[in-house]
Amino acid sequence: MASSDRLKRRILREAVRENVDVMHGLPRRPLQTAVRLRRPAIQAALLVGLPLLGFFAFNTLSSSAPDRAPWLAAPSAATFSAPRALAPVTASLDIRRIVLDPGHGGNDSGARAAQGIVEKEITLDIARALRALLREEKYEVVTTRDADTFVSLRQRAHLANIERGDLFVSIHVNSVPSRECHAVETYYLGPADDPRAEQLAGKENRDSGYHLADFRRLLESVYVNVRQQESRKLAHVVQKELVAVLGNANPAIRDKGVRSAPFLVLVATESPGILAEVSCLSNDEEARRLAEPAYRQSIARALFLGIHAYADARNRVARLGQAPGSQ
Amino acid sequence: MSKKPDVLNVGIDLGTSRSSISASNGARHVVESYVGWPVDMVARRLVKKPVLFGREALENRPMLDLRRPLEHGLIKEGSERDEQAVQELLRHLISLAGARDGQPIRAVLGVPAEALRTSRQNLRGAVKGVADALMIVSEPFAVSYGIEALLHTMIVDIGAGTTDFCVMRGRYPTEEDQRTLTNAGDSVDEQLATLVRSKHPDARFSIYMVREWKEKWSFVGDPPAPVVVTVQKGAKATPIDITNEMRRACESLLGPIAETMADLLARVDPEYQERVRHNIILAGGGSQIPGLAAGLERVLTEYGGGAVRVVEDPVFAGSNGSLAIALDASEGDWESLAD
Repeated sequence: MASSDRLKRRILREAVRENVDVMHGLPRRPLQTAVRLRRPAIQAALLVGLPLLGFFAFNTLSSSAPDRAPWLAAPSAATFSAPRALAPVTASLDIRRIVLDPGHGGNDSGARAAQGIVEKEITLDIARALRALLREEKYEVVTTRDADTFVSLRQRAHLANIERGDLFVSIHVNSVPSRECHAVETYYLGPADDPRAEQLAGKENRDSGYHLADFRRLLESVYVNVRQQESRKLAHVVQKELVAVLGNANPAIRDKGVRSAPFLVLVATESPGILAEVSCLSNDEEARRLAEPAYRQSIARALFLGIHAYADARNRVARLGQAPGSQ
Repeated sequence: MSKKPDVLNVGIDLGTSRSSISASNGARHVVESYVGWPVDMVARRLVKKPVLFGREALENRPMLDLRRPLEHGLIKEGSERDEQAVQELLRHLISLAGARDGQPIRAVLGVPAEALRTSRQNLRGAVKGVADALMIVSEPFAVSYGIEALLHTMIVDIGAGTTDFCVMRGRYPTEEDQRTLTNAGDSVDEQLATLVRSKHPDARFSIYMVREWKEKWSFVGDPPAPVVVTVQKGAKATPIDITNEMRRACESLLGPIAETMADLLARVDPEYQERVRHNIILAGGGSQIPGLAAGLERVLTEYGGGAVRVVEDPVFAGSNGSLAIALDASEGDWESLAD
């Protein structure tokens, strides 16, 4: 009887803990028993893996050569076999559910224009308009926030992973020291390819809720992954549409192209993802345009066209069972 | 277990077809999981209520925006109306339990395992605010807790939208302990409707009528009596015999359920497999199909045999289990679960 009560108490504690985790947006915890069973294997893996991880981290963090992709750089081929990316065809699955991530929110206002417009409001409005457009095309859409609330990057990524989004699109508005900037740029996960991208990633990664150890672990999991290739493709299509649509409304728009940077929200999500800097609030002319609902709708439309074009191509490939680009 | 005297603890089984509540004040109620809002002013004037539930909603369905919010075992994502329907249904159940104005409510909500697995964050958001503190668990787990079958047991909860399987191994079930099939009550209804329609193409009947036929006359194995129902053929009410169709539709559950049982059994540690195999418990509305447990035992002989029984009080097994969880949870547990 006592052991039965103990069992009930333990199971109940697990049930409560799981509920509390859900309330705080945390992912499921790993199986206790499975960990016990696999402990020797894990210990062995740690013995081999930790020095390797340190080696990777050292090379990654200390690399200063701008043309080098430190997280794709494998240790010497004589010592270790180089990691190989998965062929995209192995992940030829339909794209159905899209997670939209309106940047900032709550006490994190993001960039602020002289006119008083704040980034958190712009991104939320664009995300809502984009959601409506995507739903018209029968996509399932999840948003990481639907109100003016603070959601940490960790919570955003957890939500995206729990909801099993097929694509993740984070929406931001740029703000750069030069007030002349009309830049539109789209990022995917990768090493920062210039100091400004690094700075921007650092800014967007603030208040993430992650620790350095988490960051390393997350980075490790994305090296050899189809996710990066797919994210890059999505970024290219979205950037093309952003430039085409917004260029019509504002010929001064500058195509800053597709770039890679280690935005934590992209590192921690499991699906292909991009971070689009859809406009530039530090530019007075852009800020004035962003205050107009029609301009924000154009941005949503451009994002929609890009996402839909990418998803449509992927879905056709999935149905035909061909690798993208093989036609 | 000491509890604050003014708190009402409730266990709720939020099902696709029926929802039940068991409360610490002894109240027990079950309603069909339909929620309907009058579609316009005229309908509102006729039904005289802002929202209708269960049988009353079903009977007035032409005038209502009728929802069965957990169709296929899931809250439809992005549908605010369905989320609202879940909230209304829960509030209705709690009011049926006799909660006094201002009385603190602690609720344990059992939901189809699929709803919990695929959309637990969404689900938690949808039910926010219906109680002062709330815990959500999978339905088969609630059943197992209520009957204290937490070790070496397989619970098979046959609902309307899904059949949920859960092997209890003395721990809170994880994904690897659970399976979900969409072969369940609704799939039996659809199959029965198809079979009757193909035999009587001129017969007119609705899916709601089919559901009622199943609830009255379903069976597996030998028919207890001929199943004769009345349908419209042209303008004429005509009795038709659907005994064979009923058997075929109900027995369509046997294969998929037995196969899934065998698959889960194969994943149990070999030293415990025999104990689990002889401790299979059916719950949920579908478990009330006469002859189902015996039919499953018959099919299981192909997989090495097994003993299958139906839980006592299948209508309230889930809500009673949820109530047991609510009563066993400590003050500290509830404080951490407060909304």
